[in-house]
Amino acid sequence: MRRAVHAEWTKLRTGGGILLAPLVLAVAIVGLGAVAAGTAKAGADPGRAALAGLDLGPAIVALLVALPVGAEYATGMIRTTLAATPRRSAVLAAKAVVLGGPVALAGAVAAAGALLAGRWLGLDLGPSGAVLRAAFGSTLFLVLVALLALGIAVAVRDAAAASGVVLGLFYLSPVLVPLVRDPAWRRHLEQITPMNAGLAVRSLHVDGLPIGPWKGLAVLAAWAAAALALGAFALLRRDA
Amino acid sequence: MNDATITVTDLRKRYGRTLALDGMTFAVAPGRVTGFVGPNGAGKSTTLRAILGLDTVDAGTALIGGRPYRSLPRPLTHVGALLDAGALQPSRRARDHLLWLAHSQGLGARRVDEVLALAGLTDVARRRAGGYSLGMRQRLGIAAALLGDPAAVLLDEPFNGLDPEGFVWIRGLLAQLAAEGRAVLVSTHLMGELQGIAQHVVVVGRGRVLADAGVADLLAAAGGGRVLVRTTAATDAAHALERAGAAVTVRDGALSVADLAAERVVAVLGAERVPFSEVAEHRATLEEAYMALTRDAVEYWGAAL
Repeated sequence: MRRAVHAEWTKLRTGGGILLAPLVLAVAIVGLGAVAAGTAKAGADPGRAALAGLDLGPAIVALLVALPVGAEYATGMIRTTLAATPRRSAVLAAKAVVLGGPVALAGAVAAAGALLAGRWLGLDLGPSGAVLRAAFGSTLFLVLVALLALGIAVAVRDAAAASGVVLGLFYLSPVLVPLVRDPAWRRHLEQITPMNAGLAVRSLHVDGLPIGPWKGLAVLAAWAAAALALGAFALLRRDA
Repeated sequence: MNDATITVTDLRKRYGRTLALDGMTFAVAPGRVTGFVGPNGAGKSTTLRAILGLDTVDAGTALIGGRPYRSLPRPLTHVGALLDAGALQPSRRARDHLLWLAHSQGLGARRVDEVLALAGLTDVARRRAGGYSLGMRQRLGIAAALLGDPAAVLLDEPFNGLDPEGFVWIRGLLAQLAAEGRAVLVSTHLMGELQGIAQHVVVVGRGRVLADAGVADLLAAAGGGRVLVRTTAATDAAHALERAGAAVTVRDGALSVADLAAERVVAVLGAERVPFSEVAEHRATLEEAYMALTRDAVEYWGAAL
């Protein structure tokens, strides 16, 4: 497992430019958060404003994950990988570590930066417990998105298809769910779609949200677990 | 060195309605170069992928030194393989490609530089793989196969895209690897490429083994012990040889003599005072031996389409 992680890290590091993605992720989250914080209306949730950049998170993370994984299948290099590390579960776990790690680091820096920028721009963040929850939860949100994207990418074996699925999963539901007329149904859908549920954690005032912050992350974690299970099934069962 | 013997026993695999492997059985012994030859679609690549644990089979086993590939903790130190020289990410530098592979086996950069030198790629090691010619990619793939100093080496079509210099290089390399006691399996659809390289060949067609023999035996069998006689007095020669018990046919303006050794042919013609300009044992090429073996097993021949 240690050797598999080392190999995956070297592979990611030398793949050309992909390590810029975490930087882009952090800059986007802090930058967009600062804009939202500066223009936030009175009464808006300060966490939602400061961490508004998280809306872009799934898009950037999906590319960060789908591009290197898809390229490995497109070139056929996956066979070299699986010949070098025949324990396929170890390959998947190693990819999760090397893709999730930089996302976690960038996410933590970005969330802390965005919240600090928000306070500096005049947002009243309130008690530090909720602020810490939002920072930690936002980081976890991005890591779970990365794991979900990894599962999808390994299952569909193609960068474009994988990013399409992930983008659809995260960005279609916020557009489609408000179109549902029945309020009970709408609330229910907001509780189980990955974007709405997962982003509950960035709010500082959680009363009245369709789903609680940790429960929301648990929903996203379930999505990620299902995607990883799908990826693992495909990787373990299919011929390379 | 690890036990290098590769044993393939009764492999069977079906893709939908196509039978890819139909009882494929052979062994690759250490210390010699074994050619793995057959027409396209004969199951060579599927067999190699099965040996490497990349494809699962419906039945049968492929073992390396008695163990399945997927049970080897650092498999590249047992078996090195070149499957597809093009399986590279173009943006990665050649040396980095070998570096991640080395790290997967717990090996370091020193071994990477050693195999780069072995493959003659030291000067271009820091170029991106996307800029490599097919010949350079083959060399890089062979460097990757040798990374773990493996006891067994499997090369799928390693001659593709090589320039004459590369061909001479790989010839020498294969001989050296076998002399070091490694088991070397070289797959190709062109039997002729193996002449002077392989000591043993496994000929396959339609997913199974058609012949598993030493190259010398195969050539002798294909030659059929025929003797070629060139003479201006063809009729006299034919009569004389037939009286001595030979079967004579006329082929390309010369006599093709069966059932009589070359020495006897010379003796008979001498005794009967028949003039001749040449008496030679017919030496079959590997290509001829191969054509004779696979005539019935070629999957895609013109009439079938």
